[in-house]
Amino acid sequence: MSSALEELLHHPALWRGGGFTDAPATVPTGFRRLDERLPGGGWPLSSLVEILVPAAGIGEIRLLIPALRALSAARPDEPRWIAWLGPPHLPYAPALADAGLDPSRTLVIRPRAGLDLLWAMEQALRSGACAAVLGWMGAAGDQALRRLSLAAGEGQSIGFLFRPPCHRSEASPAALRLLLTARDDGLDIEILKSRGGAPSRIDSLPIH
Amino acid sequence: MSEGRPATATPAPAELRRAPGPIACGVAPAADAAARELWLAAHFPRLPLEALLPVTGDARAVGIIEANDPRRCLVACNDRAARQGITAGMGLNAALALAPGLELHERRPAAEAALLDRLARWALQFTPVVSIEPPQALLAEVRGSLDLFGGAAALCRRAQAGLRAGGLQADVALAPTPRGALWLARAGIGIAAVRADAMPGLAARLLLSCLEWPADVIETLTGLGIRNVADLVRLPRDGFARRFGPALLDELDEGLGRRRQPRRRHVVPERFDERLELPVEAGSTACLAPATEQLLARLGAFLRARASGLSELRIDLLYREHPPTRVRLGLTRPNGHEGHLRELLRERLAQSRLPAAVVALRFRSGVLLPLSLRGAGLFEQGRAADPEATARLLERLRARLGEGAVFGVCPVPEHRPERAWRIAEPGGATPVPGHWPASRPARPLWMLAEPQRLAGWDGVLVTGPERIETGWWDGHDVRRDYYVALTQDRVRLWIFRERPPGQGWFLHGVFG
Repeated sequence: MSSALEELLHHPALWRGGGFTDAPATVPTGFRRLDERLPGGGWPLSSLVEILVPAAGIGEIRLLIPALRALSAARPDEPRWIAWLGPPHLPYAPALADAGLDPSRTLVIRPRAGLDLLWAMEQALRSGACAAVLGWMGAAGDQALRRLSLAAGEGQSIGFLFRPPCHRSEASPAALRLLLTARDDGLDIEILKSRGGAPSRIDSLPIH
Repeated sequence: MSEGRPATATPAPAELRRAPGPIACGVAPAADAAARELWLAAHFPRLPLEALLPVTGDARAVGIIEANDPRRCLVACNDRAARQGITAGMGLNAALALAPGLELHERRPAAEAALLDRLARWALQFTPVVSIEPPQALLAEVRGSLDLFGGAAALCRRAQAGLRAGGLQADVALAPTPRGALWLARAGIGIAAVRADAMPGLAARLLLSCLEWPADVIETLTGLGIRNVADLVRLPRDGFARRFGPALLDELDEGLGRRRQPRRRHVVPERFDERLELPVEAGSTACLAPATEQLLARLGAFLRARASGLSELRIDLLYREHPPTRVRLGLTRPNGHEGHLRELLRERLAQSRLPAAVVALRFRSGVLLPLSLRGAGLFEQGRAADPEATARLLERLRARLGEGAVFGVCPVPEHRPERAWRIAEPGGATPVPGHWPASRPARPLWMLAEPQRLAGWDGVLVTGPERIETGWWDGHDVRRDYYVALTQDRVRLWIFRERPPGQGWFLHGVFG
């Protein structure tokens, strides 16, 4: 029976619906277990990634560091910027240098109000000058997120949006949505939405 | 006509004036250099009107009169007035009899000169040799630009279209001599006479009025039965010079290409400084948009003419009584792109509050800088940082969020954590050479602006202590034991205790 099925599946007239989407262009996350679950094997380029974090500092930046390093190294002669929009604290230059990121390619933007933050993030994504834009934001409408997503596509930039987990049930146009939970030995990552992939869960991913 | 005397290459004008024979003969053909020139002339018959009322529309009949003309003649009028039978040169009484509602304005030579100046700047897109012929015409030597613009006819059409788009009525003509081109333009003969010897052939079509000679001279010539330039050319040279003066004979020779006419070149000033009176006072920044648009267009033409970019633009909003509001746009890289300036200006003006209604705007440029063009690779691998894109982004963000809200960071070789970095101009941070701490425990990715006292600390210490004890020489000495700690929420913190212990714990960083 199974051999008959196998034969049928190899029949040229039969077209299967799975795997017809082209794998998106990605940058590896640097964590093998996470890469395996993501379509294309990494963070999707030119799109918006939403990361829901219960508290600032549980390891969400360390999760991004290998990818940010890879993005900076993509064009060593003229690296693009990594922009930090409205971070909860100031990025510490010696630590950036330790992590292998070039502090002179770091741009910190601290807008006063939420509306300015959305605008600034859209500008940074759209400009094409930034390889990645990290933004910290609370409430944001579906339409605003869609604008960010389009801007990321236009500027060929990745937008990482950090938001509290209370926005979990809201619809989001982001290509990838993750929910992080802190563990003693790393992070639990729940993939809530993944364009071209399936929701899944990774337990206790060690973050160095 | 008979050959009066053999042609010579460099005739002495004084001698020629005394030479017998008709004007057309006995003079050398144009010098070689003159023959290789080709002049474009643009004549603006309605310049007095267009300089005063840039956008009159056709709603009412408008006429312009000379300020102190005893005869009270109209200098120019708009289409509506023309349809009612009014023409330039008509007496004021006759004009008012035809159109009782005629709106009259006094001519302002200063405004006309400013407009001609702007037009000269605009014409620099065709050639570097542009010359102003006051009061109502512009000349440009375009022989070298013909290939670029696709030939003489195409160049004429392009100039004509550009002027029409600017709301100006213009007659454009091409001729091998500047004065000849001017005659053709004034006569409204819009042809491109490209050949070096084209002018004498066209003389019969040029009426005396296109010479713009004094009225009494024209009257005398008309009395003699002279109607056009061809008739004029047949007059004996010496008699003409004796009767009307040698200057007019020189003009005639210049027009026909028998005498060179050096032209003064129009030079664009070093900086842009223009003022625009608003037609209606503007109570809000939104109402300023048409005026800023107009000034930006002029600024763009200015920058193109100079092939330069701006690094600074100062905008003054002028009021009737209040002191002006000054806005300064600083650019990180020299930029000549109007669209970009427009965006920056919109953001900045949206923030300014107007104390009263604005009556005028003034734009002043800082020092101009040459623009550098950058080649793009054919097979780009990945996407490179475009310096222009970066500069545009930074300026846009700073225009809206303020200068201090956008910055970069730079590490500093220093053991005290709070002094081991500084805020820097984005991209301008070059690491300081010095004694970098060789190997040390990990530092947190996030730093608090000030160490924060922790009340009731009950987390877990993961690693530590790292003792930092330094800085006694500059009065900011630090004696601390740093630990990496984990809170109940499993947030990784960098905390310290002062030495000797006793003052409690301080939070200094978060490991992100």
